[in-house]
Amino acid sequence: MSLGYMLKEGFAGLKRARLAAFTSIFSLFVAVLLIGVLTRVGFNAYEVSQMLKQQVEVEVFLENVDEQTTNELQQRIGEEPIVAEMNYISRDSASKVFREEFGMGGEALADLNFLPASFRVLVSDEASVAQVDSLVQVINDYRGVDEVRFNLALLELLERRTEQLVLIGAAIGLFILFVAIILVFNTIRLTIYAKRDLIRAMKLVGATNGFIRRPFLLEGVVQGVIAGGLAAGLVYLLFDWIVPIYFTQIGVLSWPFGEWYYLIGGIVLLAIIMGWWGSRWAARKFIRETTVYTQ
Amino acid sequence: MSEQDVISLHNVTVTFDRQMVLDQVNFSLGIGEFCYVIGKTGAGKSSFLKLLYRDIKPDKGIVKVADYDVSTLPDKKVPYLRRRIGIVFQDFQLLPDRNVYDNVAFALRVTGQKKRFIKQRVLEVLGLVGLSHKRKAMPNDLSGGEQQRVVIARALANEPRLLLADEPTGNLDPEASSSIMELLQQINNRGMAVLMVTHDYDVVRKFPNRTVQIKEGSLNDIKVV
Repeated sequence: MSLGYMLKEGFAGLKRARLAAFTSIFSLFVAVLLIGVLTRVGFNAYEVSQMLKQQVEVEVFLENVDEQTTNELQQRIGEEPIVAEMNYISRDSASKVFREEFGMGGEALADLNFLPASFRVLVSDEASVAQVDSLVQVINDYRGVDEVRFNLALLELLERRTEQLVLIGAAIGLFILFVAIILVFNTIRLTIYAKRDLIRAMKLVGATNGFIRRPFLLEGVVQGVIAGGLAAGLVYLLFDWIVPIYFTQIGVLSWPFGEWYYLIGGIVLLAIIMGWWGSRWAARKFIRETTVYTQ
Repeated sequence: MSEQDVISLHNVTVTFDRQMVLDQVNFSLGIGEFCYVIGKTGAGKSSFLKLLYRDIKPDKGIVKVADYDVSTLPDKKVPYLRRRIGIVFQDFQLLPDRNVYDNVAFALRVTGQKKRFIKQRVLEVLGLVGLSHKRKAMPNDLSGGEQQRVVIARALANEPRLLLADEPTGNLDPEASSSIMELLQQINNRGMAVLMVTHDYDVVRKFPNRTVQIKEGSLNDIKVV
């Protein structure tokens, strides 16, 4: 097949059935726009929840132990796989912090030097509540540890909310994708149906099904590029320009995988795949079922 | 199938829409022969043609058309069979958004011919049907007779050995109808076999050729007087 013929027919197809092509492009555009926005919002919500989770500290209060025991404890706790970071707060530092936080009233109490030394442990954001809970049990049993405190309720709440967010986001995303696929496929089918005379005439003069199909596939890809390009542009504008004007804190949140072009590229790619796949599916079925005879 | 035949049916049975169209039929059409297929409405004339260009398959028997065994031909090969036969319908089936030249060239483009050859061949067949001067006209600007000439030109573009025509004069006035028949006769005189379905006995009488009748599942040669 001549490439020139395929390109000419593919682009001419868009012009010949403008309304059908516009409908296909529009439905593809809406579908990938919704998926793009949902991905970005979902990612940022997940990111925020992880940030909050990371801020939940495990505080390990020590008994009155010597320096060697403190060092041993620091090493043992630091070796636990879910421990991301830990800081040692000596008795002196604890008094200093106390003074800073309680101001003048704290001065008198600080002199009593009753505050114990402690470790402030930050756990990995990948760690589950169960893992943190078991870490707490383990540390509690170490010799020299007086008490371990962490906000279990807050962590459990965060984990539940994150799980719900992921589940609801995935369900909405899948639903949009499913509806979009049905919508896009049927629109493309209508576009192809509008060209049934062309298909019939091609079959009549001996065109192979592959030959008939290729311009439709190209048309689907072109529709995908247009719809994906528009949706990607809008998503970029929305999250990099428009939303930060009204919600300045959004500017701090990052694009998935750190760079804008992953999501933008993904949107364009998804639209192209949907356009191509939709055209292929509809064209295959329709071309196979179309007969030459009409009367 | 003898080497002199472009169509050969051997003990062929065809049912279409649960109706018996052909029942153990034998038939052959030789190279350069002209044959009418007549019969009542619903007798199965069009289904007979569908069988020949493989829009339907036989239930039993062997069908050979232009060296292809249609009865066993896989779907993938059907386009190659259709390139060896020209097909003309009553309802023209021209593409309204392309001019006469492109409607004819289209048949050659889909078979992957080179641009230079396409140009030469399209002008040749348009000359044969007497429409060279209308090559830039759009189908809707042509009369019914002219549109049917374009369809015939398109059917001839791939130099088929056989032309199948389903009521080609059915939508035309008597004058245009005669002119199309003269054209088909002229094409036949150049050596191409023509199998034409019609219910117009006037045409059959005016342009006498071999005639077969489809009746109750059988296909028999008859004389029209």
